[in-house]
Amino acid sequence: MKELSLNILDITENSVKAGASLTEIFIDESDEKLVLTIIDNGCGMTDEVLKTVTDPFYTTRTTRKVGMGLPLLKMEAEQTGGRLSITSKHVSADADNHGTTVCAEFNKNHIDFTPLGDVVSTITTLIQGHPDTDFFYRHSFDVKEVSLDTRELRAVLDDVPLNTFEVIKWIEDNLKEQYLEA
Amino acid sequence: MTVRELCLTEDFKPLALPDGEREIKGVYIGDLLSWVMGRASADDAWITIMSNQNIVAVASLADTACIIVAEDVKLESEITDLALSKGVNILSSDKSIYETAVILSKLL
Repeated sequence: MKELSLNILDITENSVKAGASLTEIFIDESDEKLVLTIIDNGCGMTDEVLKTVTDPFYTTRTTRKVGMGLPLLKMEAEQTGGRLSITSKHVSADADNHGTTVCAEFNKNHIDFTPLGDVVSTITTLIQGHPDTDFFYRHSFDVKEVSLDTRELRAVLDDVPLNTFEVIKWIEDNLKEQYLEA
Repeated sequence: MTVRELCLTEDFKPLALPDGEREIKGVYIGDLLSWVMGRASADDAWITIMSNQNIVAVASLADTACIIVAEDVKLESEITDLALSKGVNILSSDKSIYETAVILSKLL
């Protein structure tokens, strides 16, 4: 995709569809590397499904459940000399501890590295589209970091939905401000 | 012009031709697969330099007439095998993307 933030949106959409009540998005950057990790507590995948998720034909032809998201993310990571790993535990294997972790490593200095793009819009769009599930976002570079936890917002807001215009606007401004200060 | 007829011209070599009678009605050029997925039209000849297995999926989704891998980019046999099994035509051109498009523009 044109920007990594669009991949984040796409992969996180899978987490929500898998029934995750919490999806964590971590971006860890150094001078050379960018590591994107998305961890959800959704229903997870069985080993058979896990083997097929980076095969574009499993995803596009048979069920359309997952989309081209993972095959594209894998390609984008690998074309910078990085890698994609996916681990998952299906709800049938462990009813109390299930979910999926997607981790993509990129070499930032490779000429084919896809820029991160407008990650503030991505996070805002996610929360707006899924106000009833929780997201934890943390972007760290060296010692600085930007973070947002909808569980904290929810505790303060009581019953005000997260996709109320004022709340979304606050989230957007807060993230932008954190980025300016970082 | 059909994909098979295009293969008979000296500039294009078939790498996988499971559906040679497909009619080519237009041309699309692009390497950013997510972009091509949404923009290439059905029955286009799609010129690219990408050589990942994902090109077969994108061509299948967008229902292009064929993929033309330009600049003499080599494909691994797994990709041409996949294309054969999915009914996706792939041709090769040793010309640049621009020259390939110019040739097509004269033929179509």
